[in-house]
Amino acid sequence: MTVNWAQILFNSVITGSIYLLGAVGLSVTYGLSGFPNFAHAEFITLGAFIGYFVAEQLGLGLPAALIVAFLVTGIVGFLCYRGVFQPLAKRGASIIHLMVASIALGFILRYSIGAAWSWHPLYFTTTWSAFDVGPLRVTGLWLWLIFVAVGLAFIMHLILTRTKIGKAIRATSSNPELALASGINIDRVIWITWFVGGGLAAIAGIFRGADTQIWPMTGWDIILPMFAVAILGGIGNFYGAIAAAFVIGLAENVGVVALIAVGLSTEYRMAIPFLILIITLIVKPQWLAMLFRRA
Amino acid sequence: MLLYGLDFLVFVGIFGIVALSLNLEFGFAGLANFGKVAFFLVGAYTYAVLSQIGVPFYLCLITAAVIAAAFGFVISLPALRLRADYLAISVLAFGEILRLLIKAEHGIAGGVWGITVSPAISLAGVSYRVDLLVNIGLVYFCLLICFIVAQLLANSPYGRVMRAIREDEVAAEALGKDRAKYKAQIFMIGSAMAGLAGGLYAQYLQFIDPYMFMPMITFTVWMMVILGGPANNWGALLGAGLVEFFDRGANLAKDYLVLPVDPSNLQYILFGALIILVLFYRPQGLLKESPIKTKALELVRYGRGVVNNKPGK
Repeated sequence: MTVNWAQILFNSVITGSIYLLGAVGLSVTYGLSGFPNFAHAEFITLGAFIGYFVAEQLGLGLPAALIVAFLVTGIVGFLCYRGVFQPLAKRGASIIHLMVASIALGFILRYSIGAAWSWHPLYFTTTWSAFDVGPLRVTGLWLWLIFVAVGLAFIMHLILTRTKIGKAIRATSSNPELALASGINIDRVIWITWFVGGGLAAIAGIFRGADTQIWPMTGWDIILPMFAVAILGGIGNFYGAIAAAFVIGLAENVGVVALIAVGLSTEYRMAIPFLILIITLIVKPQWLAMLFRRA
Repeated sequence: MLLYGLDFLVFVGIFGIVALSLNLEFGFAGLANFGKVAFFLVGAYTYAVLSQIGVPFYLCLITAAVIAAAFGFVISLPALRLRADYLAISVLAFGEILRLLIKAEHGIAGGVWGITVSPAISLAGVSYRVDLLVNIGLVYFCLLICFIVAQLLANSPYGRVMRAIREDEVAAEALGKDRAKYKAQIFMIGSAMAGLAGGLYAQYLQFIDPYMFMPMITFTVWMMVILGGPANNWGALLGAGLVEFFDRGANLAKDYLVLPVDPSNLQYILFGALIILVLFYRPQGLLKESPIKTKALELVRYGRGVVNNKPGK
């Protein structure tokens, strides 16, 4: 069996880009708010459906879909935190209660989406031209995905390092008490991360939906790989999450080749990030984070 | 309608057992088991495979519980040292891996196509109604045993240790309670109960496939415990009854009511809203945590009463 390794590397970048967009928000809100938000899956789903609505039902095209989905889902993410998680945390809810609340909120969003659209899978009808670059098979959608993911990662890097709000986010994530004492409005910092995290998840959802299908479980199907990325990269660690997204993307795509080579079902592909997740948690959480620990 | 009610009772019984087991783990010991369905699955498939090779049903059920407990023990070794959120995520992932395994390996139990299971007690030529009554007897017998075990555990020095670990595990450890050992034991007992319930579920439905063991089952059981009242065994049973009742209600509403929203969607939207409301306004659930009833504590209280009433003090 000849393996087209260039294609596998390219596919890893595709998978990694979706995971990057989906997991950065999860990781940062997990770090700042102190609990894993399972409803993040529904932010991904909601983004996919809004993207479908704008691009297909209104016919406004992909760029408009990306922007609208980012804004609407970002606001939903902010409202979820402001309306449910923040008041719950202020009432002294334990981390388990916050996790259960996020699952409950996920139900509300998922089944509302199911009621608003339907449970039948939807597909983007836009056909993306495929062309060959050397040994690679590339589609326009994938180029868009890489462009958007890398572009947004770069913009966020600039925001985190060059702007006042970026400095406030970094200060809050490394030491909330000290940030508060320095006069940073911590609540506002956390609201912004929930907004941006939700928006990025929406973009991940659009690309995931365009690549596979859109249905109310679109987000839930990939929430565990998202957790794998967040935990491998170190919870709350932006650069760690970017690295981990591509590590897990690579592991999945190389893993499929390995699965075929040893004669196992390719259904185990999804088990690869799960295994990485469990092993990371058990052996040593946040090992990748140490590589990216910044002074 | 009667048959429907009896079927409902069987489900309440089976999920009552699972809710009791989660209540032990989460309610009393504070363990966030988000992979409950994994142990339910282990029990169901153990029962299915064993019953196919002709093992009698009681041995199938016992083995289902034992194997689920063994799985619980193996998982508990690394997982229980983790923080609550890490434990939740890793056990959830474990359940999904297990489901993928069953789905992909057609050799184990029919893979994605599922497997038919012979009923525990099959009487020749009886009506469906009698069959249901037999099932109710079996399920509620198991539920009774689990309930007694749970009550004994809760109202014993062991129960106090569980609560101590939930409230402050470092303090419990400082008082000489080996938290890892206690957590592993609780996890094993909880998993055994879930496995038993899985076995009952498999024999009652007489067919299982991997799609019947989605993480949704875990969250349904969590709803039962949160709603009914964590750390209260009666609450867990009440929660099981209520959640199943709403579930059935939504299914009936689908046939008889015309609503702008599909009832099967509306049901889960309401469930989600209800859980959030409970967490906001009544985090202790419908029934509050039951006070511990042990001989020693009663003596202490009684003794104090005597001292306080002593004349001339």
